[in-house]
Amino acid sequence: MAVTEKQTSPSAAKVWGIGVRQIVYMALGAALYGGLSYLTNILQLPATSNVSFRPGIVIPLFFGAVFGPWVGLFTGGVGNLIGDYISGYGVYWNWDVGNALIGFIAGLVVYITLGRYFARRNIIMAEVFTIIAVIVGIGFAAYTDIWVSKYTIAAATGNFVPAALSDLVNGLILLPILLVAYNAAVRRSGRG
Amino acid sequence: MLINFPYIKRDTPIHRLDPRAKFLLLLGWGLAAAQTSNFWFMLVGFTGAAWYYSLARLKWSETRRVWYFIIFLNFMLIFVNYFLSGGAIVQGVDMTHPHMLFTLPFIGLKHTAPFIGPASLPFSVESITFMITQGQRNFSIAFLAVVIPYTTDPGLMGITFKGMGLPDKFSYAIDLSFRFLPTVARDFGVTLDAQRARGFEIDKLRGGIFGKIARLAPMVVPVVIGSVVGAEDIISAMELRCFGVGKRTWLTELHPRRIDRVIITLCIAGFLLVTALNIAGNFYASGPLHVLHIQGIPSFLFA
Repeated sequence: MAVTEKQTSPSAAKVWGIGVRQIVYMALGAALYGGLSYLTNILQLPATSNVSFRPGIVIPLFFGAVFGPWVGLFTGGVGNLIGDYISGYGVYWNWDVGNALIGFIAGLVVYITLGRYFARRNIIMAEVFTIIAVIVGIGFAAYTDIWVSKYTIAAATGNFVPAALSDLVNGLILLPILLVAYNAAVRRSGRG
Repeated sequence: MLINFPYIKRDTPIHRLDPRAKFLLLLGWGLAAAQTSNFWFMLVGFTGAAWYYSLARLKWSETRRVWYFIIFLNFMLIFVNYFLSGGAIVQGVDMTHPHMLFTLPFIGLKHTAPFIGPASLPFSVESITFMITQGQRNFSIAFLAVVIPYTTDPGLMGITFKGMGLPDKFSYAIDLSFRFLPTVARDFGVTLDAQRARGFEIDKLRGGIFGKIARLAPMVVPVVIGSVVGAEDIISAMELRCFGVGKRTWLTELHPRRIDRVIITLCIAGFLLVTALNIAGNFYASGPLHVLHIQGIPSFLFA
């Protein structure tokens, strides 16, 4: 039996509004992203072909896709700042902005999906926005180093390619798993 | 599993500084240093940043892990990139008449098959000066950046960003993020132990790269979904206390001292001055207004 979702047009208030719910999810997303980044650095998982595991990137993608662009922006930007902060590395603004862009762009999919991912089509849309978000976000972070740190385009590209590839692989694999698990949790709580 | 904030409570001039001054100093210097490759300008900034770092009285044993990473990263970015790019990393400098010192036999890219072969790697006065300037730039920014987490109480982060103009809602969310961190770390540890008891071994994931990532789901999914579902109680508690209705007051207030105001003023003024000089340098081909557009290498080095 085919199950379809009834889609209603998104209102600007629903997508861009910031209430108590959005504030709490912003804070939670940033804490999860920062904490998971810090903890998975410690775990030092084995990898092949010099691709490092960064499963935490799914956090801003997930929070953006479900709760909207502002939550995604905060989760990515402040989460990256927290991750660097608790690692003791300090504050590097262009990489914080790049991660914020990842969450923000991923959150724009809410215009199409309304934050509901019961249909396969909506999950695919979230994946498409993930690809755009990672390329734009990591591209911003890596290529602004040309201006900030006087790198060449080759050096910036050398930063961009592995970082973007790692984030894309981690995000595209883990995001659908997280969305399906969230659907199940929402249904069980009766809010779906 | 615990997350320990790197903050070390101590009484030093840097610890006593207003956190807003520390952030603005980092931002102001970072943006100013990005606008020039003048060796002397960068040397002054590097010396000042090193002195600023020394005032924080951080021990090597407390920060060595961070510095190992920063030193390695800068070595890769400055020297390895120079070798890999065949010496073509100098920016913002006139390289039409470089003053060659020596060349090293190396390999480089070619236009014809096999597209890689022997090539000499040039070292000139300009390129060596540029590498030193790059090192000064990166380490001076690192000195200002590393000081912040070790000398700033994480409980002040929210009020700091509020004081820098961020709206109340975002500032409170930053404050709440730091408060969530120990809970998230505890949940992560509990989940890891529970999954280990079920045979999940995070350091022995099977499969290729995609399989390994997919097998991380038993770690990531319970923590994230559990936290999201648990956040409903916090949302309800905040709504019951009328959060967001009316103007918010803060329990902690920051009171800048004279030295904090002086530092903030100097940061903003310094950044504006550097920006103005950088713009003016485009209209004057020589003279003091062009100073940020040259490396400042003394002419006796060209003899």
